[in-house]
Amino acid sequence: MLLAAASVAAAPAQADHVGIELVSESTALVPGRSATLGLRLVHEPHWHTYWINPGDSGLATKLTWELPVGFRAGEIIWPVPQRFDVGGLFNFGYSGDALLPVQLDVPASAKPGSNVQLAVEARWLVCREECIPGKARLALELPIAAEAATDPRWQAAFAAARAAQPRPAAQWTGTAQDNGDRIDVKVVGANPPHGTALDAFVVQRQVVGYAPPQVVHGANALTLSFAKSEYFTGAPAALDLLLIDGVAPDAHAWSVHAPLSSAKPSP
Amino acid sequence: MNFRSTVFALLVACGISAPAWAKVAVGEPAPDFSLTDSNGKTQTLSQYKGKIVVLEWNNPECPFVGKHYGSGNMQKQQAEATAAGVVWLTVNSGAEGKQGDLDGAGANAYIAKVGAKQTAYLLDPTGSAGHSYGAKTTPHMYVIDQQGVLRYTGGIDSIASTDKGDLAKATQYVPQVLAELKDGKAVSVTTSQPYGCSVKYGS
Repeated sequence: MLLAAASVAAAPAQADHVGIELVSESTALVPGRSATLGLRLVHEPHWHTYWINPGDSGLATKLTWELPVGFRAGEIIWPVPQRFDVGGLFNFGYSGDALLPVQLDVPASAKPGSNVQLAVEARWLVCREECIPGKARLALELPIAAEAATDPRWQAAFAAARAAQPRPAAQWTGTAQDNGDRIDVKVVGANPPHGTALDAFVVQRQVVGYAPPQVVHGANALTLSFAKSEYFTGAPAALDLLLIDGVAPDAHAWSVHAPLSSAKPSP
Repeated sequence: MNFRSTVFALLVACGISAPAWAKVAVGEPAPDFSLTDSNGKTQTLSQYKGKIVVLEWNNPECPFVGKHYGSGNMQKQQAEATAAGVVWLTVNSGAEGKQGDLDGAGANAYIAKVGAKQTAYLLDPTGSAGHSYGAKTTPHMYVIDQQGVLRYTGGIDSIASTDKGDLAKATQYVPQVLAELKDGKAVSVTTSQPYGCSVKYGS
């Protein structure tokens, strides 16, 4: 079978209220190097799919890969999601044009001049107020080559997904405390974000409620106070959260890792 | 402990709107309600004092609900529970005009269509019972003991998905809670993360 040197993308799947497609940032895969693939989700207006923690309802998008021997796909590198308020219930997810990047490790043994078939089974839930589950098997054929160029078709989408990644909050230290009916996260360090629309989304489930936290600004410190989840059964060792200033996709966001301790019993 | 009013005061002080609902807690009395069922009869929680009561939040058009009715899982749990003397109340808190909102006749047609086996199907179009229980998803399950104390709140099972293929692998929490209560054992899972569609409350 003869194939052109350029990547051959399978046709995007048009599901209910969302177009879904597997795309590659580069036109070819280079042996021994990592490449970035993406699940491209094109939502109809008012419809959304979900982040790793969907919030009060919903379901995170899930990928199951079928790859040739030696190839390895990582987890979704989640861009900063938006907060959705559905009648007082809160969800986290994506609307409009979204791209969920995944790193693909290409084995050194891959043979330049050959083609590889990559496939993924994607499962998602797309909701406006009502929800529709979706499932599709998406395929992508890419050539193996000594060098790869950026695919101009998806350059902007991958650049946007990169820009929508949280930055590590290296300059700040996070600690979380279980204070009984609340979970308080303290972020300490120089010049913490001070925007008035500051928000925070917690990755772990069953720890905090999903309403926006109370934010208290201090000198070189910031406290985010969350109601404890009604479904809390035990504290994880640490909370991972996104600290968000502004609204995605134009938000500034930082990822904070906050070891969680229990408050000392009151005397 | 005056927890509820403390939280409320804090929220007001910080200028954040109070949650639209109270919290129910496992080990605490479950709130009473008075709702009309699909046959026009008034149903309250207090009338079932002395019996175990299961509450199931429902929206017939939600795909998560469809997973558990389409597979027969929900009907089987309803039939087994009611045969053992448990009262099973299905509650629809969908506001008028929202997806899954039913009137009495519509609810009875749905029950007949899916072969549901609950004790009664309760209509809560104002969302009052839903809000007082903090029902968030369809399904969302509660188990209340003979003394009216909440013994379980959370999901129907342990695998959040719309896929019927996951049912066999999942722990079905309500039958587990009912069996433990019957045997006088401690309830092993009292709380889990509910999963499903948002309850379609009116704004």
